[in-house]
Amino acid sequence: MKLTKTSDQITQNRNNHSATSAGGGLAVSRRGFLRNSGLMAGGAALATTLTPGMMKKARAGTGTEAGGNANEIKTICTHCSVGCGILAEVQNGVWTGQEPAFDHPFNHGGHCAKGAAVREHGHGERRLKYPTKLVNGKWTKISWEQAINEVGDKILQSREQSGPDSVYWLGSAKFNNEQSYLFRKLAAVWGTNNVDHQARICHSTTVAGVANTWGYGAMTNSYNDIHNSKSILLIGSNPAEAHPVALQHIFKGKEENNAPVIVIDPRFTRTAAHADHFLRIRPGTDVPVVWGMLWHIFENGWEDKEFIRQRVYGMEDVKKEVAKWTPDEVERVAGVGEAEVRAAAKAMADNRPGTFIWCMGGTQHTIGNNNTRAYCTFQLALGNMGVSGGGTNIFRGHDNVQGATDFCILSHSLPGYYGLSGGAWKHWAGVWGLDVEWLKGQFDPASYEQSKGKDVTAMHTKGIPVSRWIDGVLEDKENIAQKDNIRTMIFWGHAPNSQTRGKEMKEAMEKLDTLVIIDPYPTASAVMHDRTDGVYLLPASTQFETYGSVTASNRSLQWRDKVIEPLFESLPDHTIMYKLANKLGLAEQLCKNIEVKDDEPVIEDITREFNSGMWTIGYSGQSPERMKKQQQNWGNFDYTSLKAEGGPCDGEYYGLPWPCWGTPEMGHPGTPNLYDGSKSVADGGLTFRARFGVERDGVNLLAEGFHSKGSAIKDGYPEFTDKMLKKLGWWDDLTADEKAAAEGKNWKTDVSGGIQRVAIKHGCAPFGNAKARTVVWTFPDPVPIHREPLYTSRRDLVEKYPTYEDRKSFYRLPTRYGSIQAKDYSKDYPIILTSGRLVEYEGGGDETRSNPWLAELQQDMFVEMNPRDANNNGVKDGDDVWLEGAEGAKLKVKAMVTRRVAAGVAFMPFHFAGHFEGKDLRSKYPEGSDPIVLGEACNTAMTYGYDSVTQMQETKASLCRITKA
Amino acid sequence: MAAMKFYCDAERCIECNGCVTACKNVNEVPWGVNRRRVVTIKDGEPGERSLSVACMHCADAPCAAVCPVDCFYTTDDGIVLHDKDICIGCGYCFYACPFGAPQFPSDGAFASRGKMDKCTFCAGGPLEDNSSEEFRKYGSNRIAEGKLPACAEMCATKALLAGDADMVSEIYRKRVVNRAQAALGKGSQLRQRKFGSKVDLEGKVTN
Amino acid sequence: MRMTTTKSSHGHQMLKGMLATVLLVLILPLLPYVFAVNTDAPSPVAGSVPNPGADLWRAVRQRDGVVTGSSQVKGVETGVLISPAGKDWLEFRREKLIPYSAYVFAGVASALLLYFLLHGRIRIKAGRSGVRVPRYSRYERWVHWIMVVVFLTLALTGVILLYGRFVLIPLLGPEGFHVTAQISKWLHDIMGPIFIVSLIVMTFTFFHEALCRCKVDMIWFLRVGGYLGGKHPSSGKINAGQKSWYWAVVLGGIVLIGSGLVMYFPNFQQGREIMQDANLIHGLAAVFVIAFMFIHVYLASVGMEGSLECMTRGDCDENWAKEQHDLWYEEMKQEGRIGVQSEK
Repeated sequence: MKLTKTSDQITQNRNNHSATSAGGGLAVSRRGFLRNSGLMAGGAALATTLTPGMMKKARAGTGTEAGGNANEIKTICTHCSVGCGILAEVQNGVWTGQEPAFDHPFNHGGHCAKGAAVREHGHGERRLKYPTKLVNGKWTKISWEQAINEVGDKILQSREQSGPDSVYWLGSAKFNNEQSYLFRKLAAVWGTNNVDHQARICHSTTVAGVANTWGYGAMTNSYNDIHNSKSILLIGSNPAEAHPVALQHIFKGKEENNAPVIVIDPRFTRTAAHADHFLRIRPGTDVPVVWGMLWHIFENGWEDKEFIRQRVYGMEDVKKEVAKWTPDEVERVAGVGEAEVRAAAKAMADNRPGTFIWCMGGTQHTIGNNNTRAYCTFQLALGNMGVSGGGTNIFRGHDNVQGATDFCILSHSLPGYYGLSGGAWKHWAGVWGLDVEWLKGQFDPASYEQSKGKDVTAMHTKGIPVSRWIDGVLEDKENIAQKDNIRTMIFWGHAPNSQTRGKEMKEAMEKLDTLVIIDPYPTASAVMHDRTDGVYLLPASTQFETYGSVTASNRSLQWRDKVIEPLFESLPDHTIMYKLANKLGLAEQLCKNIEVKDDEPVIEDITREFNSGMWTIGYSGQSPERMKKQQQNWGNFDYTSLKAEGGPCDGEYYGLPWPCWGTPEMGHPGTPNLYDGSKSVADGGLTFRARFGVERDGVNLLAEGFHSKGSAIKDGYPEFTDKMLKKLGWWDDLTADEKAAAEGKNWKTDVSGGIQRVAIKHGCAPFGNAKARTVVWTFPDPVPIHREPLYTSRRDLVEKYPTYEDRKSFYRLPTRYGSIQAKDYSKDYPIILTSGRLVEYEGGGDETRSNPWLAELQQDMFVEMNPRDANNNGVKDGDDVWLEGAEGAKLKVKAMVTRRVAAGVAFMPFHFAGHFEGKDLRSKYPEGSDPIVLGEACNTAMTYGYDSVTQMQETKASLCRITKA
Repeated sequence: MAAMKFYCDAERCIECNGCVTACKNVNEVPWGVNRRRVVTIKDGEPGERSLSVACMHCADAPCAAVCPVDCFYTTDDGIVLHDKDICIGCGYCFYACPFGAPQFPSDGAFASRGKMDKCTFCAGGPLEDNSSEEFRKYGSNRIAEGKLPACAEMCATKALLAGDADMVSEIYRKRVVNRAQAALGKGSQLRQRKFGSKVDLEGKVTN
Repeated sequence: MRMTTTKSSHGHQMLKGMLATVLLVLILPLLPYVFAVNTDAPSPVAGSVPNPGADLWRAVRQRDGVVTGSSQVKGVETGVLISPAGKDWLEFRREKLIPYSAYVFAGVASALLLYFLLHGRIRIKAGRSGVRVPRYSRYERWVHWIMVVVFLTLALTGVILLYGRFVLIPLLGPEGFHVTAQISKWLHDIMGPIFIVSLIVMTFTFFHEALCRCKVDMIWFLRVGGYLGGKHPSSGKINAGQKSWYWAVVLGGIVLIGSGLVMYFPNFQQGREIMQDANLIHGLAAVFVIAFMFIHVYLASVGMEGSLECMTRGDCDENWAKEQHDLWYEEMKQEGRIGVQSEK
């Protein structure tokens, strides 16, 4: 029986699809079934809750009156990037119920433990309730006015004494799009590039590696598109814990296409339990195993030669590298035998299109960018790109990390990945209505770095990333490429225990002048240090207490409505941003074109502003009106294709996945699968972006003999500029207004959207039609190679696969590689330490560990260890143990003895905080705001190690030893 | 008309605990009482499977048979409910239940367990449908609203099915057939990994 | 037989007596437990498509032994999916314990009634002499009667909890019986600990006279105490039958307390099987002791003239003593305590 809610929209079941009613036939509505089965208590309401105006009796214990009207509010879950729809029932402003959103195309009502528990946000017992200041070691309540004043003064003081770069603006992947954009703008008008967020330590290597391969660094297809996959490979990805609803789609593909599922992971995860192939690799050996699979593919001629000829550059160089990864070498380095690797490669080769999924297991390494590019190359070799059912389906983390990344709360770019060049600043200054010179004046005018022999000022140099903020505080200031150390740290919607080197972080927090934490919960930032003064906690509202758009991993933008008013004295993030900006004298610049009501910038105005500037990735077409319309019509969008057939959103793809080209008026439907040439660009088709030039070493970098459907240019072409339009004779297709704006501009900087419109009108992609490149000549390793982790137990491999050389200045900081790997830690710390997730918790964990429904299910921090290691150390299941990291941090945790991890490998979840080296810090939390469950933070023990392109931290491969406590 | 039943498809259950928290959510179940739980067998080893289990609303419910005060009753749709006002908290239903469905709010020292609480198939209890009192004592009555249990409705992968037993078994049967058909259609072996299969940890299936 | 025993052989007697009574009292109630009910093997699931889930369900149904998993939900046996033992326990309770115990009670009561009808009240043959012999001190009587109240409360409330559903719900209705049952449970829960104290005190109070004088007691048993005719056998202060009753209460009481405590404190994470076993042992021991109690109450009141006053007034008639407890009477005579006032 169909478990779908009855409503005005009936989702049709096709013969081979719906997960709930397998097989064809009429879907019987639940209402009809129940009526037939006589379940209706005589005369009771038949209507489901989607019927407006239905009378519902009150629920006890919620302070509501019997017979009150329940409002049903649509929002999106705040816990991960799948973006599940949530129906919240609110009565008299109290969040009284939660109903499954059966119509929502991403989850069809399904949730994981966190999503099914979001209503607890309406209780918020452990929330940070009011602005709080640490005075003489005591948490003291203060007013918002005092808080903003004092914090603002401290920030200004920092600027005065040490320059604008001494203030670090650490933002959040949990900001919605409007807040993300506003935050990046705030840092820009403040005058620093020391702004970053969780993406740095999550998928930064993905974005860098993938974007540098074929143009955009995001998930290419969608969770739903996996229905079409004939094979599914997951490496370093455990959706059973991290993206449970994604498995709804993976299972559909698996079951209906008999698709083999291949899991490559050091652990036998819950996802691996449902897989057909499991390859257990040593942590940090992704490149060997992927090249090892490619070795078999090339050896047997399974690669898609035509696809490579038309759309790929550099495969010959890759072949040379892959030739070194013979089965013996793969087994020696990665620990996987020939038969398994060959079987996996064959499964992918025989069953195309196949999709390739990865997460932190692949990204969080010193060679993260090598890993991600290897994954891309694999899919290019098989011709699995730009096709439904294929693609690199990268599962992002937090609910809006995709949006926050796209708006570049990142130290190396302005919103939309425009970068930090003069042209980028000019573009955004124009959008913001600000004078570029004024912006320049906000920055430190001095230069601390050189590029191509010329001095470059702070405005144009990458800021310090979040993974290294502690070095920004602790490092000798002479060695940092900015005026002074970081003195004021603003942790905004970001936990500290997601970054490594916890002991040094404690030191850094104690050295700061001021530590400001803006969050719905105090987070471990409030307790892990021993400061007695200079700490401010400002209560922010959750995403259920505000509204705006959010971008899911598949690039779909979804509109959230506000469920409840901000709890206690919390304020939405954008209101706090405005208040702070006001104090800092930046209010006018921040909200020049944005209306502000009672200190709250109007969200829709922000949306419209970024629509007018985000041309590079096509955030220009998703206006508030279009997004809201889609929100009202969730049920119209097809479960597999995400396309609306009929109804008010006819022809659109759900979420108008970016790139949604041109202006909202143009009405582009969004791009559901990137690089898919089988559709016209106007209908969501795409080519590979021409981003790397038209030619290299005499080889054509543009596509050859390939073009998207209906393209007027039947071959490769570069990105569109005004000159190109004129050359093609399409310039006069522009309106007069468009011409005025487009003169001298290109598809990224033409704010009329005309260049994009005309290009698409002729069936062309505004960003060109090029080949993907498997050789990134600007990266430290142009062709991805393997390098051992800094803390490795395989000293025998260090000589052949050494890490990089130390770098004097990288993202403004000295960064060590070889000097760390030179030391042999493996005698004293013989066990490989890796980390990962649990389904009950999310991120730093203070929010979810404060939810009793979730906390009850995971009450103790633990380390998974193999029986062999347990026996070697006299440890039994459930014992307390000391886990000592390679740099001396000691964690007291419970031992879970399991075969899930191999001998010589230990695993810890990273969501815990509140204990520090055996000490329980519960009493240090502000009263009533301590999470229910506390535990050691695994990153206290995780060590140094940063990706060679993005400064991503190496949290998947370190060393430790474990002894009985 | 057949009875209302649960069925958990072990090939789909990933122990995401969504059913567990959905139940706590809609029924406001306190800490310590868990009407539904997910059990994982062969944890961490090939063949690992998870199953979500709560009250199975048995046709010949042992809890009802053993209760000294006969506080259980079965509705017309086969849902087994009980009356907390009659329950004396002796715990016998818990001893008798093969699934461990009955829960108690107190740990039971000095024989004071408190009133038994268990999965109601989101059908409330003997009090008036959707009244405040019914909600306070028994949780939601979604059945009276024309809905199905929240746990099944919110299952992430549609592993947990709930509803009319004939319909549930029909859905599951079709799933099994679907899975086999996909394999047969391709002329290849059924790919499903059997629970008892011997898979060495490098992933090679040896049976 | 000898009237007195030396100290060393007295101790020897003690040990032998205790062992004998332990064996008797403990083994008997355990015998019915041997008749455990086996679960019947259900028919295999028929299907035309091999279902990969079949292996899983077979294991989960515990056909080849117990399969235990783990769960994030903490609690007693949350890692066990299916525990089949509960069904066995339930069936034993409903099919065996409840009906058969009812038969036992009915049987014993009927037997006593029949005996009364056929044999009538056991009279003092020589008639009352009017001379009193002190028998039980005030302390001993208090101990006895407190135990009576405690035990009867426990027995009655226990019986209500066992049978009430079938007998009293039709009479009182579900809400009415709820009140009765709830009160019964509370009383049972309160009286249980009091019973522990009461039993300990009672054990020591009457310990000495309950020790086995094996020759005397053996003969008493062989002659069935003279109740079925024939010469009345000798007896000490209390006869072998009364001693058996004492040991039944003490040892049965220990079993009841032990099993009761297991059920009383479920907070030590005991599994369901332990609780089921405790419940069964508790019930079986209770049935045994209560049934035996019928006999004791009968003989100590209606069934025999001159017995009740021992425990109410504290003394007994000289002729009664001569007839029923001749050896004790001789000892009392030698100590010169005939005709002495007992404590009031």
